[in-house]
Amino acid sequence: MGFLAFPLAVLLVFTLIPTALGVGLSLFQWTGGGSPRYIGSMNFSALLDDDRVGAALRNSLIYVLATVPLTTIAAFLVASAVHARWFRGRAAVRTLLFLPTIVSIVAIGFVWRWLLNDRAGLVSPLLRALGVAAPPRWLEEGPWPMVCIILVSIWRQIGFCVVIYLSALAALGASVDEAAELDGATGLRRLRHVTFPRVSRTTVFLLATGAIGALQVFDIVYVMTAGEPTRASTVLNYEVYRNFSMGSLGFASAIGVLLLALTAMAGALQFARRRGAAS
Amino acid sequence: MNAHRGPALPARLIVHALVWGLALTMLVPFLWMVLTSLKTDAEATAPLSAASLLPSRPVFENYPRAFEEAGLARVYRNSLIVATVTTLLAVSHNALAGYAFAKLRFRGRRLLLACVVATMLLPIQCYFLFAYVFAGRLGLVDNLQAMIVPFLASGFGILFMRQAIQGIPEDLFDAGRLDGMRELDLFWTIARPAAWPAIAALAIISFVNAWNAFFWPLIVTDSPEHRTLPLAIAELSAGVYVQSWPVQMAAATLMVLPLIGVFFLCQRAFVRGLTSTGLKE
Repeated sequence: MGFLAFPLAVLLVFTLIPTALGVGLSLFQWTGGGSPRYIGSMNFSALLDDDRVGAALRNSLIYVLATVPLTTIAAFLVASAVHARWFRGRAAVRTLLFLPTIVSIVAIGFVWRWLLNDRAGLVSPLLRALGVAAPPRWLEEGPWPMVCIILVSIWRQIGFCVVIYLSALAALGASVDEAAELDGATGLRRLRHVTFPRVSRTTVFLLATGAIGALQVFDIVYVMTAGEPTRASTVLNYEVYRNFSMGSLGFASAIGVLLLALTAMAGALQFARRRGAAS
Repeated sequence: MNAHRGPALPARLIVHALVWGLALTMLVPFLWMVLTSLKTDAEATAPLSAASLLPSRPVFENYPRAFEEAGLARVYRNSLIVATVTTLLAVSHNALAGYAFAKLRFRGRRLLLACVVATMLLPIQCYFLFAYVFAGRLGLVDNLQAMIVPFLASGFGILFMRQAIQGIPEDLFDAGRLDGMRELDLFWTIARPAAWPAIAALAIISFVNAWNAFFWPLIVTDSPEHRTLPLAIAELSAGVYVQSWPVQMAAATLMVLPLIGVFFLCQRAFVRGLTSTGLKE
């Protein structure tokens, strides 16, 4: 029991009790000084009326729905190709794809911000050389800031998912090939109807953990756009941070509760699927 | 039978081109970062052309300037201390807790385990606020300890070690108990060597996480002398201390390259460690 005292104390003091108090604080108004004032569900009704939170909720959901399925499906296709017997350079490709996983998202956002710079970057000049007369100002105009954040996120995460799929494919061994041979299935049909169903547990794992992670997106937004221009690329966690910085702690907690609910839904997805598979 | 038949040659070539193309894009930002760090300010901000892609003559002065202007020596020291101390202490505590959950019988074990699992599922934005309040009460604000202590135990680390230690045969421990060994001896002489691959994996995960941690350090640090690398990069990105792009890129190179170097040296361990979350099918 002595082994557990300190680790459990850390979890209790820095995670569990703070979560409970945070959920409670969503019913109060508090700036950090003095005592919190009980205001019932007013933070939540304010949440519904707040334009920034509305934009953040929309962007967060778009981010989850755009990054997670695309990353997972692309990773499955890439892993299937790399896993094939005829593929050359498997180890090198795996290493390269995995590289961004170890680099901090802050550094990645920072470098990409520069690659996307209109004048001195790499992307826009390349496009101009290819004949695109006026490439957009990627991080400043229209839907492009969110599009860039989403693409950079997919780019960063795909390698991790590929490596997970590769180990799942390796675990399947030769049985899949034999089954496919019997079915006479080849190429993409075989991938879709034979291989894909057999790695479904990996797929569900990647979708659920991916969705939970994507709901919490913060670092890349902070570095690439800071939610700008005019809240076009803000996300829920960025609004939590912004309201925290402004001293609207009760309101920040209410957004946190919203995130908690969304996270629970994403987690339930995995459990529901697991139960379905077990029975 | 055509057991070894794959797609036709043109299809194979297209697949190779696509996959290799994607893989090579992983290097582009980092190559670009290094190239820019070797340019002069004028070269770096000039409109890009085939001629200006490479620096006309590599300039190395950006590196000492980056070290000085971004205060990198201090930042490096902070990141190294935080990541190393966190890794050593977190792995020890998580391994001991994992051992307790795997091999010891005590009242309330299931309930406590459920609490540990719960912490894994909670998003940090739901608890950082009161974690910050408590950290303040404990004197853990705006110092290096503030970035270490809250990470000395994690739900993931405990469950990960529990899973690794559970697989060790019970007989080994029973034999040790008959010899009169205490629990700490049992952990050290039996569990630790047997679970060594998991311990190494957890150490890599802990180090990379601590090295790259951003949100919590952003909340708990105020003064520049306690910044870690990600905070310094974010400030660079916002142009707080350094305006020159090549100097910014030199600083970013200095921050990112050591970890990339270690990754290429022992990439098998990294890949295995960081993906061990998903390997258990």
